[in-house]
Amino acid sequence: MSTQTRTLFFLTITVIVALVLSACQPAAPTQQAEEGIVIVIPEDPPSFNPAITDAGYDSLVMELVMLGLADLDANGNPFPELAAELPTEENGGVVIDEETGTMDVTWNLRTDVKWSDGTPVTADDVIFTYQAIIDPAYGTWIPGIDYVDDVEKVDVDTVIVHYNAVYPGYLTQFGGELIVIWPAHYCDATQGFSAWDCARTPLSNGPYVLKEWVNGDHMTFERNPDFYEKGKPEISKITVQIVPDEAVRKTMLINGDADLDMWSPEPMINDLKDKPNVVVSISPTNRWVFRLFFNLAAKGTTDPVATPHPILSNVEVRRAIRMAIDVDTISKNFFFGYAQPAWTEFFREPYVCTNIPRPAFDPEGAKAKLEAAGWIDTDDDGIRECRGCGTAEDGYKMEMEFITYGEYGEALELTQQYIAENLAEIGIKMNLSVVEGSIMWAASEDGGIEQNGNFDIDIYDDGYAGIDPTDFIYSYYHSASATPDYGTNYGRWMNEEFDALLDESYTLDTAARQENFCKMAEILEAELPEALLFTGVNADAHSARLQNVQSTINDLVTWNAKDWTLAN
Amino acid sequence: MFTYIARRLLQTVVLLFLLSIFLFALVNLAPGGPLAGQGRSRQIRPEKIEILKRQFGLDKPLPTQYLIWLVGNDWMRVDTDGDGIEESFGTRKGILRGDFGFSYRTRQPVLEEIGQRLPNTVLLMTITLFIGVLIAIPVGIVSAIRQYSKFDITVTTLSFAGQAIPEFFLGLVLILIFYAWLKNPWTGEPLLPSGGMVSLNVSGPAVWDRIKHLILPVITGALGWIAWYSRFLRSSMLEVANKDYLRTARAKGLPNWMVLYKHALRNALIPLITMLAIDLPTIFGGAVFVETLFSWPGMGRLYFTAAVDRDYPVLLAILIMGAAAIIFSNLLADVLYSFLDPRVRYD
Repeated sequence: MSTQTRTLFFLTITVIVALVLSACQPAAPTQQAEEGIVIVIPEDPPSFNPAITDAGYDSLVMELVMLGLADLDANGNPFPELAAELPTEENGGVVIDEETGTMDVTWNLRTDVKWSDGTPVTADDVIFTYQAIIDPAYGTWIPGIDYVDDVEKVDVDTVIVHYNAVYPGYLTQFGGELIVIWPAHYCDATQGFSAWDCARTPLSNGPYVLKEWVNGDHMTFERNPDFYEKGKPEISKITVQIVPDEAVRKTMLINGDADLDMWSPEPMINDLKDKPNVVVSISPTNRWVFRLFFNLAAKGTTDPVATPHPILSNVEVRRAIRMAIDVDTISKNFFFGYAQPAWTEFFREPYVCTNIPRPAFDPEGAKAKLEAAGWIDTDDDGIRECRGCGTAEDGYKMEMEFITYGEYGEALELTQQYIAENLAEIGIKMNLSVVEGSIMWAASEDGGIEQNGNFDIDIYDDGYAGIDPTDFIYSYYHSASATPDYGTNYGRWMNEEFDALLDESYTLDTAARQENFCKMAEILEAELPEALLFTGVNADAHSARLQNVQSTINDLVTWNAKDWTLAN
Repeated sequence: MFTYIARRLLQTVVLLFLLSIFLFALVNLAPGGPLAGQGRSRQIRPEKIEILKRQFGLDKPLPTQYLIWLVGNDWMRVDTDGDGIEESFGTRKGILRGDFGFSYRTRQPVLEEIGQRLPNTVLLMTITLFIGVLIAIPVGIVSAIRQYSKFDITVTTLSFAGQAIPEFFLGLVLILIFYAWLKNPWTGEPLLPSGGMVSLNVSGPAVWDRIKHLILPVITGALGWIAWYSRFLRSSMLEVANKDYLRTARAKGLPNWMVLYKHALRNALIPLITMLAIDLPTIFGGAVFVETLFSWPGMGRLYFTAAVDRDYPVLLAILIMGAAAIIFSNLLADVLYSFLDPRVRYD
């Protein structure tokens, strides 16, 4: 046999064996097309435990099979899941000790919820979950956990969470989009909360049960016959299919081979709006605010007092920059009109501050402000120089680096370029960079751009889930968060009055919170540590036959999967 | 030959050791890291950073991290709870004992992650390479023996196009044609699936379903191979065409087909087979674009995800395995060469 023949023979045998072996695997399950639906997502969820990774896809599948004590609906209203009712001060579920400043929250559990192996969900599961989270070796950190001193079992269906402070986010402490209650009798505590097997093969107490997970390909969920809400869910089967390419997911949706594609970006919403068999569900409120981060310390440093930024340390310059940006054109041209202007952190229910008027787009006003601030283009090169600006040496050019992250995609990069054009028109030169998110937000020791203060101006999107902005605001604006790796106050803005108001806002008195937040909004408007520009849309595209889908910023779109139905 | 192989293997061990240091340093020293705000969150609290560092072993100096990655930490005491006391022995065995650690993303053993993806990639890439070579050989031969003919010019043009067209573009066009536009006239369903390895609602024979899912990714991946190998074989054939032994064969009165196939082709194939051996690691490495576009759960996608997420253990495992595969395939190519070409002797 010649070498050529031998090679061909060998390759032929390899292929035949490979095909036969693959064919010997069991055929994929038959889908009841009329009852089942297909959700397409770009990558596998890391697990069913989003408290560890918060990839979004983990929350998506978690919501199908597991429940927390309480969750939030699309309007931000909390509703009980495993809890029989929401604990409040009014119903005696929350008791605040004014003297010590501590708080006890009593959770009464539903008595009719069972794990899919028939074991009831009890207080032991809540305590088990809490202990697993706080395990110093294998646990994790979740918002508010530092305020919890202990979780005490009162009886089989009742626990008390003892807080060492008043924590406004207590309702989703063991719920929301990240935390669920884990089965004490099923999960192996020795494997640890962050790595236990039950996060990949979960025991269900939610509307669906995981039947199969073929890594990288698909996951199959079937209706939980023991779900506590009788008659729900109506759809018997959900297949989560992994389809990495966005264009392919969109085509599948249009072709009727997919029923839901989560997190649809603006260009896709625009493409799908005229497709008769596709509906785009848009969240009633927006979360992700695109914002400019001004570094108040000189680039590469983190102390705005010792090394103030030569340009941005003057608030009038920051204000001029905001005035020069045409938000409406950005929304229209790059976000297909879906972006909504935003200029204060407190624009969402329940804390809306109307005391801050929308800033005007006024490039001429911006020029005048820069002139008044001592930034003048004396050499007619189109870039202003410091002429008595007081923050830099005379002749210092108004030129800065402008960074964003690449993962968001074209819309943000076009926005960055357009803002640079806006600023060029008022005499500020911006040098553009696009970096990976894992470099932008890395820890300081890993060379993180933000944590090391290695930027002049950045633009990216962020916002808080749920109804309590305190932790988010603390992370971005509190002085304590300005230390590298201790928060996200990347601009290193510090204001004692603001800190005090924020500290006082850790209360359950919503009226006092509202008042404080609006005072804080005024301080932020006066000092402008960040320039908020507009919100991106939160949307999920689905087939027209799939009913009751409601996109939400407070959770993943599967938050109400139990209520989904299929139209005839 | 035996001495040669033994010497090369010894060199391979040294080379792999040096590569392991280089790759570990490269991955860890690249800007960014696994402690960037994980997932959707831009914010990561210092408390969580501390926990993650301990759990990932990132709280130790880089040389120590390398040592643990290489030989494990089950021989040394570690502080698992962050109280400053090294209370128990570690659980890592190190890559020398087959423990590549766990994925930062899924917290699953790296080998388990790779084991789930590798068979899929081997299946796709073996078929792609096989089809590519199967078509490239006759195309290359005809192109060479009919040099400058219309066929040769056409094939040459198509080869350049085949090498120039990006896979992601070709794949999208194929999906558009065979999934979105063309329908099966009897069932009304798309002619071919858009991706995946199997249909979720398959009702016919599993083999046929599997083949249907392979067609588009194989075409997309094979086109480049066809172009590459056919050009290579054409050049190789043309190079041997003027050799003395072919003139001698013709002078002996051998028919032209025998001169071409028994003498020219056999010699022209030697470098091609060597090239094939060198390309063998791609069977294990996968193809990022093809796998992404056609939702094929293979190694290429795993590698890409690991790189984006800074999942160092997965990234390092794939890199070191890839490096080993390349080194061994080069050794294989050298050994094969000596078998195929009697003029080559290593002793």
